[in-house]
Amino acid sequence: MHWLSKKRYKIGLMIPTLLIYSIFIMLPIVVAARYSFTKYSGIGQAKFIGLKNYVRLFQDEIFWISFKNTMVMFVLAFVLLISLSFLIALLLNKRLKAVDFSKALIFSPAIIAPIIVGIIWVYILDPNIGIINNVLDAIGAEGLKQKWIGGDTLSPYSIAIIYFWQQLGYLVTIFIAGLKMIPGDVLEAVKIDGASAVQEVRYVIIPMMRTTMSTVAVLIITGVFKIFEIVQQTTGGGPNHLSETLVTYSYSMTFSSSDYGYGMSLAMVTFLLSLLITAIYSTVTKERER
Amino acid sequence: MKNKNFKRLLSAVTIGMMTLGLLTGCSGGGAEEVKTDESGAIVIKFGIHVANPAEQESVTYNIVEAFNQANEGKYKVEFEAADTETHSKNMKLKAEDGTLPQIFWIEGSETSEYSEAGVLLDLTEFLDENADVKAALGGMEAAFKDDNGQFGLPYQCNVQGIFYNKELFDKAEVAYPTDETTYEEFIEMIGKLKESGITPLAIGSKNSAFAMWEFNEFLARYGWADNIENILNGSDKFNNKELTACFEKLQGMKDAGAFPENMATIEYFDAKQLFNEGHAAMFGTGQWDCGEFDENIGDKIGFWWGPRFTDTQSNQEIVMKVPSAPIGVSAAVADDENLKEGVYEFLKFYYGEEAAMISYKGSIFPATSYEGVTASGTQYSMNAMIEALANGWGSPEAAPDLTVSSAVQEALYDGIFGVLQGTYQPTEALDKIDAALANSQ
Repeated sequence: MHWLSKKRYKIGLMIPTLLIYSIFIMLPIVVAARYSFTKYSGIGQAKFIGLKNYVRLFQDEIFWISFKNTMVMFVLAFVLLISLSFLIALLLNKRLKAVDFSKALIFSPAIIAPIIVGIIWVYILDPNIGIINNVLDAIGAEGLKQKWIGGDTLSPYSIAIIYFWQQLGYLVTIFIAGLKMIPGDVLEAVKIDGASAVQEVRYVIIPMMRTTMSTVAVLIITGVFKIFEIVQQTTGGGPNHLSETLVTYSYSMTFSSSDYGYGMSLAMVTFLLSLLITAIYSTVTKERER
Repeated sequence: MKNKNFKRLLSAVTIGMMTLGLLTGCSGGGAEEVKTDESGAIVIKFGIHVANPAEQESVTYNIVEAFNQANEGKYKVEFEAADTETHSKNMKLKAEDGTLPQIFWIEGSETSEYSEAGVLLDLTEFLDENADVKAALGGMEAAFKDDNGQFGLPYQCNVQGIFYNKELFDKAEVAYPTDETTYEEFIEMIGKLKESGITPLAIGSKNSAFAMWEFNEFLARYGWADNIENILNGSDKFNNKELTACFEKLQGMKDAGAFPENMATIEYFDAKQLFNEGHAAMFGTGQWDCGEFDENIGDKIGFWWGPRFTDTQSNQEIVMKVPSAPIGVSAAVADDENLKEGVYEFLKFYYGEEAAMISYKGSIFPATSYEGVTASGTQYSMNAMIEALANGWGSPEAAPDLTVSSAVQEALYDGIFGVLQGTYQPTEALDKIDAALANSQ
C-alpha cells in the first residue's frame, strides 16, 4: 500500500477519472458558457453578442416566474424532505412491527421513473379527471376543488409535493444508513444517563448525523434544480410557462424556440445559482461546526 | 483548514457542473460515407419525425416500401426515426457534424435556418429534369424557395380545419356549420353545444401548443398573408388592428366556454380522444387524423374551414390547403453522383402517381395532384374535406404559423393558448410575439 501513496502514483490513478470528467462535464460547461454569449439557432454560425442574452434574461418575465417556481419548489422540498425523511428514518430505525414492509413501501416511489411519477400524479391532480377533485365532488365539497395543476398558482407547490413523494424513500434510506453508523454504546450511555428521547435526538443523534445531513441537503439542492420530467409530464411548463422551472424553461428556449444562446445563458444562471446555494449551505454548516 | 475550504469549493463546483452538464452536450465531426447493403444497393437514409414510421406515418412507410421493392438491389431507403422533438434536435446536431441523412423532414419554422446554413441541396435541377413532378406539385413547392434556391419540397399537402361530429350536433339540435357561418353564429353554436352537456371544441395545450391548426384559418382571414412581410421587416407590428380583432375572437371563444376545462393539462392526443369518443363536438386538425376518425366516427363526420369574420376587410374566402413542412436533401449528396441519382430516383417516385395513390389510400393528401387519383367512398373524413375543398377558394402559400422563425412561432403558439386559457389579454399576447420577434432579430 505504501507505494500507492506516492504523489506521482496518486496523480496517475486520478488521470482517467479527470480525463472523463473533463470531457463529459467540464468541456460541455465551457461550451455552454461560450454559447451563452452568442446568438445561435443550433445550426450555422453562432454570432457573438456579448452580454445581451444575460441582459434579456433579467428583463424576461418568464425567467423570473421560472426562478420563483424553482425557489418555491426548493424551499418546500428542502424543508419537507429534510425534516420528514429524518423523522421517518428515526421511526424506521426502531424495532417496530412491519418495519421492513414500511421501508419497502416508502422506498417504492424512488424506483419509479420520474416520467411515470408524472403520469401517476396527473391522474391524482388533474382538475377534471384527477382523483382529488372527483373525491371532493363525490363528498359534496365542490367549493374545495382547485386547479392543482394547470392553473395560475398551485402548480409549483403541487410539483414540489410530487418531488417530495418521489424522493422521500431514497433520503430515508440514507438517513437510516447514517443512524446505523452511530455507535450503539454511545446511545446506550445516553440512555443510562437518563436522557429523554427528544434530548437523545437533539444532543446526540443530530450532531452525529451532520455528515449525512449535509449529503442529503446537497442531494436535495441538486435534485430540485434538475426537476424536469415531473414538470413536463404534469403541466409541460404551462399554462403559458406559468409552471416552468429554470431547467424546463432553459430546455424550452433551447429546443422549442431554437434559441440556443439564450437557452445556454439560462443554463449558466441555473448552474451558478445551484453553486451559490450549495456554497451558502456549506458556509452555514461550517459556521455551526465551529 | 485551507485544504478543507478547497474541498468544499471543489464539491460545490462539481455539483453545479453536474446540474449544468445535463443541459449541454458536445459534438464531434466527420462526414458520412455512402453505404451499400448486402445486395449492393445504395442505402439512402430518410430522417423522419416519428419514432415508428410503420404505425405513425404509414403512408410514407408504404411509399418507401414500394420504392424499395421496385428498386431491389439498386437503392434502398432506410428510415432514421425519432419523435418530432428528438428528430429536430438530432438533425441540428447532424447538420453541425456534417452527418445529415440524405433526405430528412424539416420542422417548418426551421427551414430558413437550414437554408441559410447551406446544408441543403438546391433541388431546382431535380425539378427542371422532372417536369411532370413540377406540374403535379402545381406550385406547392414555392413555399420552400428562397435566395439559396429550392431548398425543400413539401412532404405532404396539409388540409387543416375543424372536424365535427354530426351526431352530437343533431343531439344538441344545432345546424351544421357551412362556408357562410359567421363568428357570431359560431359562438351561438358553442353555447348550444355546451348546454347539451358536451365539450364544444376539444383542444389540449400541454406539450402541444403546435396543435392550433384551426386558428391558422382565423389568422389567414384576418389578413396574415398581406401583413406578415411588413411585420417581419419592422414596418408593422403583430399588435395591430387586424390581429387584435383576431385574438379578441379567440378570447370570445374562451368566454363562451368552447374548450375543455383541463385544456392546460391535456395534450393534443387526449383532446383527439375526447373527440373520437364522442365527448367533444369539434376538433381542429388536418388530414393526418382522417383514418382515425373513419374508424371512430365513420360517416357521421363533417369538416368545416371555420367561421367568417365580419369586422375585417380581409378576404374570407380562404381555405387551408397548404404544403406541410418540407423534406430537404443534404447538400453532401451532391458529392457522390450515384447517391445523388438514387436520391433523385426516390424523389421522383415519392412525387409520382403511384405514391399519390398510396397516399390517398392512407387518407393523406399528397403534395401532388394527378387526375383520377382520389379517395374511396368509405374514406368519410377525407371525402368531407374534398367536399369542403369543392368551393374552389384559394389557399395561402403556407400556413401562417410556418411563415415565421421558431422563436416567433413559439411566441405565437404561447400567445394563442394564453388567450384561450385566459392567461393573456389579446394585446398582451401580441406584444409578447412582437418582443419575441425583436429578440430573434
